Amino acid sequence: MLDADVEVDRREFTVRAALQVAAGERLALFGPSGAGKTTLLEAVAGLVQPRRGRIELGGRVLTSTASPVSVVPPWQRRVGLLRQNPGLFPHLSVRDNLCYAPTASPSEVELSELASVLGIESLLSAMPARLSGGQAHRVALRRLLLAHCDTLLLDEPYAGLDVSLRRTLTDLVSSLVAERSVPSILVTHELADAQAFADRLAVLDRGELLQIGAPDEVVLHPASRRVAELIGYLGFVPSGEMVAGVHPERVIAGGFSDRGLVLTGTVTASRPAGAGWEADLRTGEAAITCRLPDKPPVSDGEFVVTVLDPPFFSSDGSAIAAASVESEQDTAEQVRR
Amino acid sequence: MSWAASPAAAAGGADPGPGGEDPSDPGGQRRLAWSGRVTGAPLRLRSVSAWVSVVGAGVIWLALLGPVIALFTHLSAGAIASALTAPGALDPLVTSVESGLVTLCVLFVLCTPLAWMLAHGRLPFPRVWEAGVLCSLLLPPLVIGLLLVFLVGPYTPIGQVLAWMHQSATNTFLALVIAEVYESAPYYVLGAQAAFASVEPRLEQQAALLGDRPRRVFRRVTLPLAAPGLAMALSIAWARAMGAFGAVIIIAYHPAGIPLQIYTTLQETGLASALPYALVLLVVALPLPLAAYIWSARAGRRRRG
Repeated sequence: MLDADVEVDRREFTVRAALQVAAGERLALFGPSGAGKTTLLEAVAGLVQPRRGRIELGGRVLTSTASPVSVVPPWQRRVGLLRQNPGLFPHLSVRDNLCYAPTASPSEVELSELASVLGIESLLSAMPARLSGGQAHRVALRRLLLAHCDTLLLDEPYAGLDVSLRRTLTDLVSSLVAERSVPSILVTHELADAQAFADRLAVLDRGELLQIGAPDEVVLHPASRRVAELIGYLGFVPSGEMVAGVHPERVIAGGFSDRGLVLTGTVTASRPAGAGWEADLRTGEAAITCRLPDKPPVSDGEFVVTVLDPPFFSSDGSAIAAASVESEQDTAEQVRR
Repeated sequence: MSWAASPAAAAGGADPGPGGEDPSDPGGQRRLAWSGRVTGAPLRLRSVSAWVSVVGAGVIWLALLGPVIALFTHLSAGAIASALTAPGALDPLVTSVESGLVTLCVLFVLCTPLAWMLAHGRLPFPRVWEAGVLCSLLLPPLVIGLLLVFLVGPYTPIGQVLAWMHQSATNTFLALVIAEVYESAPYYVLGAQAAFASVEPRLEQQAALLGDRPRRVFRRVTLPLAAPGLAMALSIAWARAMGAFGAVIIIAYHPAGIPLQIYTTLQETGLASALPYALVLLVVALPLPLAAYIWSARAGRRRRG
């Protein structure tokens, strides 16, 4: 169990976050660049000093600014940190890299088994420069596990790799986390990576923890308009006193008032996107973008789409619960009549 | 890809030159040619400026190497033999090597921590510290020698402390080491600082997170990664210490090292008999830098796989 409740000062803002990650749980920390995600991991790893707070890992107090004040130095924390650069030591062979930690003492048999799992039997005595990007990341991950760390912190480790390799490595980390039953945190600014990895998703923006919950819960019911924007909601359509958030992938062609918000507008532009089409739609004063399987007709004629169960936000940006949305819509309709 | 790849040049036609507009090539091929040159294609001499720069490079290279060439063309085997077999001829060589080795030890022990702290910004007012290092680099060695007399001469507090310990920092081996340290230290400190700065801090962090205390991180990661750069810095300092003359002639006229031997021989018997000692100086001063260069190049190749 990793329990962190810290405030870390940065140049422009203070990162404030309270996180609990259970053993074997995978938390994704999602947010734009410069939101303070890495700072939070570095605070857990002991590389930056929080102004205030407490960090516990498996019952050990790593950092406490309240009395009794204690700061465990990085080399005694048993925290595994994997960054985008795998951080293999270039002057040591792959074998020496794997066995680097003083606590790592695998037998020769274990090492050769590990090498065959990694597919690097012939490279064990080679220098890390001979490894491919994916191999280097796998070796770095194994090195952390051989060091018997009590938690895995992944700081956008696979940002430079292609999508399929990224998915393979993410799956590998997931299975290893489950096998070792350690808490793990993945920092990423790619929502797809976060969803592929995480049991829970935390959204961080400018140092503030905006929402934390199950990935689909966060994606379908953002707690605020800001979260919705970060998650990928591209359009916000006024509806009475409120605005509805429109995610491009939550739009279907045709009017189905029982499935969500029906919008009528004109298609201003469309382009191929993935296996379907992306279209810009103008409805009244709002512009939305939607992903559709078929090419929409580009004409001045009206085009009807349905936004599936959109989240609604009040004018101050906070989310409005679905039940109250319905009653408000009723009153709005009554007023119109 | 080069200029020769463009159709006009291949046909031997009028070359538009770097500034001219080639109507048959609206941008495309030209850009290809330029990008080819950036990636290291052999230089084609197609313009006046290219000729000037190549000739200039050759001239300056020859000029820099000229003295070494002159040394070898003016030496005769007989002169070397007679110079080196004269009684006591090799004493300055021993003095120079001994004082140089002591200087290297002093530099390594005292200046390595300073270089590390400068590279990691661990010192308050880092600019002031750097200025102090640059000071001895920028002062003419002769001036350093003069000022050292005021610092460690027999009538100064330091000189009196040394006298009380039955030592002296003028015209002694100690004086020679002090002068050599002053002349070579900035080269070592600046080189070592660059070597430490080139070590990726995240690798040191990773080593710490894997369980190494700072001293172990330094020994297992920082030092090996900085070693090629440190070796280069140390060998440059060695060459400087071997050739130290300006400060040496003022506070350490005795015991004479090779540079002073060259000077006194030149004064007493002339150019021809001083030349063999110049060769000796080169032979003594060069192996360490060469070895360091070869070793760091090999270390680099090994790391690249």
